[in-house]
Parts: sequence; structure tokens; C-alpha cells
Amino acid sequence: MWYMVADSQRRTELLRGVLDLCLLAVMNEGPAYGYEMTKRLRDRGLAIVGEGSIYPLLGRLERDGLVETYRAAGNGGPMRKYYRPSSAGRLALAMGVSEWRAARDSVDAVLAHVKVEVLHD
Amino acid sequence: MTDFVEQCRLEWRRLGVADALAEEMAAELAADLTEAEAEGVSAEEFLGSSPRSFAASWAAERGIIPAPPSPENARRRPLVLVAFTALAAIMLVFAAQGLLTGQPRAALVTSMSGTSDRHLQSPSATPFLPLGTHRQVLSLGNPSAPVEWILLSFAIVALGFAAWLWWSRGRSRSPSVLA
Repeated sequence: MWYMVADSQRRTELLRGVLDLCLLAVMNEGPAYGYEMTKRLRDRGLAIVGEGSIYPLLGRLERDGLVETYRAAGNGGPMRKYYRPSSAGRLALAMGVSEWRAARDSVDAVLAHVKVEVLHD
Repeated sequence: MTDFVEQCRLEWRRLGVADALAEEMAAELAADLTEAEAEGVSAEEFLGSSPRSFAASWAAERGIIPAPPSPENARRRPLVLVAFTALAAIMLVFAAQGLLTGQPRAALVTSMSGTSDRHLQSPSATPFLPLGTHRQVLSLGNPSAPVEWILLSFAIVALGFAAWLWWSRGRSRSPSVLA
């Protein structure tokens, strides 16, 4: 079904633009390693996160100085690499959330009152 | 899991990622994959089906390898390569033709000023040089050290270099997984 594919693509595209914000947000709740962040996002319904997309993004955040990392053993398991927002990362998160809300409100103003009748054959 | 991490290691090695960084990323990946698989999530489901593309993307975003060329440069690069290869081929044909037919015949002659030099075509056009100064002149009609041989050598080296560039280009072309 073409419209299901289109919906999936749109959702992926939308998420791509804000995935860095989502990562900063979940690690702002508490330091987390890569897979743990994936689980936190999935728990909130962002199950589309996969295909290894978060690691390159974490790498970019690290390169840009928006996250700090440290190593620690997780629950008696192997050493893990934990990420948390740096002060620049927290500032970027605050600005990004503000931008997202403004964009969301603008889109809502256009889409919220749309009434479409779909006719089935 | 081991295979996925091993494929990533190979890709990082190919890309020239420092061993310490590659080891750090491999350890991070292995620990996460172990936990994911313990929860029933396969490596493919978690990280995708192309370990090498994933590894290249991660390393590029971390800034530990050169970023891929911009689309504009990527479009121009094959044209430059084609032009270089064509130039080398033309040089090869020209040199081979000169050697086979004997025409034109040219030579580079190194001479010492102040000594008798029968290769100079126009002595009046050559300014005075102190004794012992080396000079190179293009001498037509001299069979020693012909320019064609030099051209031929350059052409062969250039064609070899072009072949290596084409081969490298073919190897490095891999799909991006930046999703």
C-alpha cells in the first residue's frame, strides 16, 4: 500500500530532524549508554529508532562538544560508555525544544482543523 | 554479534581509524549488542544489515576519518579521472608512434656551457652562461635519450596511477546508512 510506505517515510523524515534533540532529552534524564537510550526512546513510542542511526548521531554530538562521556560498569556487567549532555548540550537542548514547539504550533495551526472525507470504492 | 563487530573493525582499519579509537568503539558496540541480543533484539534489527556502512557512518560523524566528498565534488571527480586517463592514453599513443615511426625524433641533451656543443640549434639565441653551468636544450634529430622514451615512461606511470585511482574508487563506493 503506497500510503503506508509514505507514512513510514514521513515519520522517519520527521524524526530525523529531531532525533538529536530526543537523544539529548533522554540522556538529560540521566546518563545513558547507546542501547539504553534506544530503550528509553522505544518506551515513549519511538520504536522507529534503529538501523544504527543513533551511534553516528552520538558521534556527532560528541564531536561537537554537546555531550560528555565516561566509562563505568553497568549493573555489574561490562564497562559501558555513558553519555550525558554538556553545558553546551543543555543549551542546545533548550533552544531546540523551543524551536520544535514553535514549528509544531505552526504546523498544528495549519493541520489541526483539516476535515477530509475519504471515499472508498 | 561477533561477526558484526568484526566487520566494523575491518572497515575502521580500512578507513585508517586509529587502533585505540576503533577498539573503544568496538567495545561499546559489543557491550550494547550483547544486551540487545539477550533481550531478543538481533544485531540486524538494532543496527541494520550493513556493518561496514554503519561503521563508516559512525566514524565519519565522530570526525575521525575524512568526511565523504560533497555531492558536487563527487560528481566532478569521475570527469577529472576520465580526463586524466585520456591524457595519459594520448601521451602513450604519441610516444609509441614516435618510437615506431622515428618521426618526430627529439632529444633532451644536457650540456656544459663553455664546451663545444654541436647539439645547440641556434648559438646566437643562447645567452652567456658561466663555465660549468648545466643546461638542457631540446635537440631535434638526435637519437640519444629521445623525448619519446621519456614520454612513454610518463605515460605508463600515469596510466598505472589512473588504474589505481579507478580501482580505489570502485572499492570505496559503498552506500551510506546515515538514516
